[in-house]
Amino acid sequence: MKILGFIRWTAILLAMPALLLGIFGASSASAASSGIGWVRLAHFSPNTPAVDVYLYSFGDSSAELVLHHVAYGTVSPYESLSAGEYTVAMRPAGAAPTTAPAISASLAVTAGHSYTVAGLGPESGLRLAVLDDQLTTPPGKAVVRVIQASLQDHVVTVSYAAKSLAHNLAFGSVAAYQTVDPGTVTVTATGASETSATLDIAAGTVHTLVILDGAQGLEIDNLVDAAGSAVPPAGGAATGFGGTAPRVPSPAPWLLLVVAGLLVAGAGGLGLRWLPRSRA
Amino acid sequence: MGLLSTRRFAAAALGAGLLVTVAGVTGLAMTRHPVAAHFDTVSELPVPVGPIAAVARSQDVKAPLPVALTIPAIGVQTSLVKLGLTAAGALQVPPSTTVAGWYTGSPRPGAIGSAVIAGHIDSYSGPGVFFRLSQLRPGDHVYVRRADGTLAVFRVTAVRSYAKNQFPTQAVYGATPDAELRLITCGGTFDSQTGSYLGNTVVFAVQVG
Repeated sequence: MKILGFIRWTAILLAMPALLLGIFGASSASAASSGIGWVRLAHFSPNTPAVDVYLYSFGDSSAELVLHHVAYGTVSPYESLSAGEYTVAMRPAGAAPTTAPAISASLAVTAGHSYTVAGLGPESGLRLAVLDDQLTTPPGKAVVRVIQASLQDHVVTVSYAAKSLAHNLAFGSVAAYQTVDPGTVTVTATGASETSATLDIAAGTVHTLVILDGAQGLEIDNLVDAAGSAVPPAGGAATGFGGTAPRVPSPAPWLLLVVAGLLVAGAGGLGLRWLPRSRA
Repeated sequence: MGLLSTRRFAAAALGAGLLVTVAGVTGLAMTRHPVAAHFDTVSELPVPVGPIAAVARSQDVKAPLPVALTIPAIGVQTSLVKLGLTAAGALQVPPSTTVAGWYTGSPRPGAIGSAVIAGHIDSYSGPGVFFRLSQLRPGDHVYVRRADGTLAVFRVTAVRSYAKNQFPTQAVYGATPDAELRLITCGGTFDSQTGSYLGNTVVFAVQVG
């Protein structure tokens, strides 16, 4: 129990920098105004068997979300959540929801922010890390970070074309986001073995590259954390010509009436002027 | 038929002509204010039939191109053209007011991110493809048919209006971690001096399974 408590506090302490970052981090403007954030859950601990992941709204004992049998390398879709406090707990797959979780962490969801809650490290030192996911990119650029989840190769160096994304990144750790040039690029992960992947990285997108233990050495899992327009158009859209806008009705019919009236009156007036008066 | 009756006839014409002139001038004076145009309401369209695409996951880096758009609630059914940017860097708009277009610089509908589709509210003479966009309500569904025949289904979360000079670029074109859709058309007051609307209506929607 002492160890579990220690793990829990470690997880909370580890989560603190991410939460603080979250306050200042980039957010989605549309979601911020509607009061929601996003969370995805991931299992990145190679020698930990599959788990059931529970997400609780803080103080509520019934789970808001349960993912069953989440195995190593699995990442859930982002779930949208109301801003607020949550608890994430992992139990061995199939364990009753009433049993004490193997590990848990608290999570503060800020509106317009997104998070990855990932089980990291070896089974003996499993921890739940709350990562603040980025939602913005510099104009015309992409943003990439690395999670090192390979136990076979304890230390891995990751390059993106000629650029280094992570140098000697230790198992269970996360390298910060880096701004990169978009394009079709070769990403190489080098530990005791080496593996490469050709990835299409579009401008305006945010990625997490997860280094996993595969059947044959390292594997690179390309996750899209967020995507927007490569080049945001300037201003609004010119999508109307006014054909249905309220408008001043055409004066033509009334003008016609005025002209016709004047003609008839004029003819009448001329008649009165030129026709001889009655001799009576 | 004597001269007398002809003179009476001329007098009557003078009187009637003056009356008609006064009526015409009154009419002119009374039609100087804008009047809202009235258009028939449209009936709902049936929900399109086809395989529904699963909600996009972080691992899904590819999605098929969008080819058509159906919004049953407001009777919209259109093919989708491709839109780029104008020389000034603004969003290109469809060449026809009867079709909508997908901005190729935005994510594909049903992929992670904020896909952008724009359409005209009207032409010079009548309603355009997105004439009724502002009548959408949260909960309404939007269907995007893709090149592989699958349908990406979206649920409307918000319908907002903005002044064009305060357009929320980040909220509309900024990145999102889930698969979302933005539908854009014109709205607000029409400025007949510049020949354009002063505002934009934007519908926000998220993908559902």
